[in-house]
Amino acid sequence: MKVSYNWLKKFVDFDLSAWELAKMLTSIGVETSVISSPAAWSGVITAQVLDVQKHPNADKLSLCKVTDGQNQYSIVCGAKNIAAGQIVPLSKIGAVLPGNFEIKKSKIRGVESEGMICSESELGLKEKSDGIFVLPQDAPVGIPLEKVIGDDDFILEVEITTNRGDVLSHLGVAREICAKLKKTPVLPIIKTPNTASYSIAKVESNLCQRYIGCIISGVKVGPSPKWLADSLEKCAIRPINNIVDITNYVMLEFGQPLHAFDISKLSSKNVIVRTAQEGESITALDGRQYKLDDDMLVIADSSKAVAIAGVMGGEYSGIDNSTDTVFLESAVFNPSSIRKTSKKLNLSSDSSYRFERGIGWDITELASWRAANLITELAGGKIEVREDIAAAGYEKTDITLRIERVSKLLGYKIESDEIAEILRFLGIDLQPRGEVILCSIPSWRNDIKEEVDLIEEVARINGYDNIPTPAQQDHVVYTPSNSFFPKIAQSFRIKLSGMGFSEALNYSFSEISELDFFGLKYHYKIANPISKENETLRPSLLPALYKNVKLNVSQGAQSVALFEYGKIYADFGERKTFAVIMCGNVWREWWMWSEKKINPQYDFYFGGGIVKNILPCAEFEIAENLKPAPYFHPGKTACVIYRGKTVGQFGVLKPSVSQDVKNDVFYFEIDLENLQDWHSDANSLYKRYSKFPEVKRDVSVFADKSLPFVKIEKTIKGIMKSGGILSDYSLFSVYDDETKLGEGKISYSLRLSYRNAERTLTDEEVNKDMNDLIDKLDKEIGVKLRI
Amino acid sequence: MNNIEQIIKEAFEKIENADSVSIEAVRLEYLGKSGALTSILKSLSQYSIEEKKQIGARANRAKVLIEEAIEIKKEKLKKCALDERLAKEKQDFSSSFYFNFSKGSLHPVLQTIESIGAVFKSLGFDVAEGPEIETDRYNFEALNIASDHPARDTQDTFYLEGTNNLLRTHTSPGQIRVMEKQNPPVKVIVPGRVYRNEASDASHSSTFHQIEGLCVGGNITFADLKSVLTSFAHKFFGRDLNIRFRPSHFQFTEPSAEADMQCFFCKGKGCRVCKNSGWIETLGCGMVHPNVLKAVNYDPEKYSGYAFGIGVERIAMLKRGIDDIRLFYENDLRFLKQF
Repeated sequence: MKVSYNWLKKFVDFDLSAWELAKMLTSIGVETSVISSPAAWSGVITAQVLDVQKHPNADKLSLCKVTDGQNQYSIVCGAKNIAAGQIVPLSKIGAVLPGNFEIKKSKIRGVESEGMICSESELGLKEKSDGIFVLPQDAPVGIPLEKVIGDDDFILEVEITTNRGDVLSHLGVAREICAKLKKTPVLPIIKTPNTASYSIAKVESNLCQRYIGCIISGVKVGPSPKWLADSLEKCAIRPINNIVDITNYVMLEFGQPLHAFDISKLSSKNVIVRTAQEGESITALDGRQYKLDDDMLVIADSSKAVAIAGVMGGEYSGIDNSTDTVFLESAVFNPSSIRKTSKKLNLSSDSSYRFERGIGWDITELASWRAANLITELAGGKIEVREDIAAAGYEKTDITLRIERVSKLLGYKIESDEIAEILRFLGIDLQPRGEVILCSIPSWRNDIKEEVDLIEEVARINGYDNIPTPAQQDHVVYTPSNSFFPKIAQSFRIKLSGMGFSEALNYSFSEISELDFFGLKYHYKIANPISKENETLRPSLLPALYKNVKLNVSQGAQSVALFEYGKIYADFGERKTFAVIMCGNVWREWWMWSEKKINPQYDFYFGGGIVKNILPCAEFEIAENLKPAPYFHPGKTACVIYRGKTVGQFGVLKPSVSQDVKNDVFYFEIDLENLQDWHSDANSLYKRYSKFPEVKRDVSVFADKSLPFVKIEKTIKGIMKSGGILSDYSLFSVYDDETKLGEGKISYSLRLSYRNAERTLTDEEVNKDMNDLIDKLDKEIGVKLRI
Repeated sequence: MNNIEQIIKEAFEKIENADSVSIEAVRLEYLGKSGALTSILKSLSQYSIEEKKQIGARANRAKVLIEEAIEIKKEKLKKCALDERLAKEKQDFSSSFYFNFSKGSLHPVLQTIESIGAVFKSLGFDVAEGPEIETDRYNFEALNIASDHPARDTQDTFYLEGTNNLLRTHTSPGQIRVMEKQNPPVKVIVPGRVYRNEASDASHSSTFHQIEGLCVGGNITFADLKSVLTSFAHKFFGRDLNIRFRPSHFQFTEPSAEADMQCFFCKGKGCRVCKNSGWIETLGCGMVHPNVLKAVNYDPEKYSGYAFGIGVERIAMLKRGIDDIRLFYENDLRFLKQF
């Protein structure tokens, strides 16, 4: 809301600059900033450019002849936009510009300049400007510039919090100033002449709590006087005619939205406040037609709705130049009803904004009289009749404030006298009763409902800065035990970032078409998405991570390696999930690629190696993926088992889903919900190791291709676990030339390591152990020694 | 006699000039089976006992001297040869190195959560979490935000189809969930994702992160709130920066405040980041509203507490000079790898 500094001074006399005022209001919770200031110059006049010539000694300068109507001046000017005929601001010799910059006679490149033509930035009107300030062509020449643009006022922008509708007026802001400065606001003199009192309004709905109607006849509609039009324009409201302007003026003054009808345009001499009838519609002042629901409050004449109560007037019942008799409305409508109507119609106005936040009961009457006074004063006419219907009645809020509660909640001592004084200057009626103060809350402070609200008032007016900041001491002693990430996720993050992976973060949403593409189904659909991107909650981290891969590949990345920790929204609800995606070269391009001939790609084997590497292998098993996710290549996938349960899957994406990317895309997703308690050091007692030398043996075996290697590993691991001398193994070669091995056969070469904890091994011992292994492989899974 | 001195002199000269090959020849020339000194020692028998003693002693001394000189020279030559080899093996540090994984990184938003969390943990806060799919009661009603309250306007909500559930618009429902589960005292932070159904632009995102803080006990005051947040500000932003508290309004706290940090770029002098005010809006906070305490069956006469909420992206943006919130969710490696 825009507020005039000078207008505020009509309500309260204070000795603060606009900036000091803004700071003070902000400190008590009314965020205020100065958005425009009066002229910060002196001696600048309007002048007309007569002639523009090139400067004899400088290409970029011009020599101008300008006039103030009496004298001619020759001025050197550097702006490109200068042209003969323009009206411009001229700083004559002796003028002072912002920053105390005085204009003196000077020679510029050998030519004398008798002043300066100014830009908006030089006048302090804008932070930056391009060229000189060209004034409207009809601006008079030779008068002080400030008469043409702006005046002597400061405009403040005031932002209120949602609970403080009472501050939405100059009186409202003035009350806040008074509370802080311990003053009392001065109200304009209101005349309340006697009028007739026959019925002119009927309230049929309890959504209207108070309705004051007033008929003023014999008015002359015309333009408003300058002071009135200026007041509105300063607050960014367009002047229309004296009657409408007065209603807006009083709204800005007291915060009460008012509406004026031309009574001759109504089908009856009285109005009805009722809810809309089924199928009823209205064309509002904005020229658009609105269909009304039966819970929307309207003002109607005998035949139709003529205004959407509290939101906007109807197009055909407004004031125009022929209006003679005005029906002036000042009312209190149910805030939530106005809010619902405004939301449903997607129509909001200065009026609905205020009604939604609640109007003070007393203000309604004050504003009604004030507007009627101004109309008769400025547009003539006579107040014929006035009716005040208090339909729902008004209950004053009374609160008992316990003085000790103030210090108890705020943590410092405030004397009861001081508390009472603060509350009194907020307009609260007080009755101190020893340990308590009985408070009667003024009607406009609908936000003060209970004791704690009064404590806040005391705190903010006294100043949050006055609340002490004791050294940190704990009333509550706690030992933090939980962390933000499950331990296993944290271990993945650390390992992967060390391996060159970057952590990604994606939105929690997925588009349906995107899910279809990956063969995924959503489990949660957003009822009111504003864009397609927000249609569903993601059932997998893949779609977004794949999109990230595509983005980076399109940006020229040769290698994309990302991971993400986040929730997916599956059929069992929210699930903490971790995913890794990788694609392209493992290493960045480098000059020894050609020499060393190593340029591994993130393929199934490399990716699987990374998965194996980050998993704490002792408890996690990699096994055949019996139920692969729909997006995996069926031949290049595996699953991760933890304590007998499948918790994750990995593999290469099948070609149909990764067609946009040249290389294999490897993906791993693991559900962390059941791994929350996993602890890296829970199952890892220190193992003794042998100090005696190791014996290495290589052995090649051949097997059916259909037999997964993991079965061979299982046999080997079984022997290792049984406590023998076999201490380690590795697969160092795989050979599958069927012409040499026979159809469907594959050969694996293993390097076996043997050690004894107590002594050096003999060849016989190792040979025996190795033969046992080969026998076992043959017996258990039909894998034979290749000779 | 002079002959021996002469031999030493000659030998030293030859040793000095020898290289790693010729040094062995020098050794043989003097100390070998038919070397100069060896032959002197062999010929001792022709001398008298007195002479034998003298010449023998001198010849032996010469032998030791020459042996030592050869050893020293050999060491020297070895060292020279090594130096030479190392010099030849010089590699170019300015060319790229073998091990060429690209640099990995952790996401700036999660890093910020971790570092803010670490400060609050050091101040005695535990960490709790709550669901993102919430009910109206947890997200609004229990937080003193009635269904027709204008405060709901400021938080456009995503609703889920087929249920009355919604995506939490703030981490504050975490307050309710924690208090429902335990009796006072409570001192936790609740970090997490929150959602607003609004068009995204440089400073708005449908998904973002908050950290909620809550402390409830028998004697918790506004002064404690100021104290804990001042400690946080000093630990997180720096000791030399001030924090100020301004009255504000939130439905679930009373009194409510907005905390501003002195701008950490210009130290309060005024710059582009703080829009010349010297202050940066950092978080919202206040004393837990009695209606919120009542909603979880805490007696507001017995207990009081404070709560605060911090926008994580905002802090990360300010700290790292990031001017568009959408960058966090684009996952361009050129962005991610800067953190």
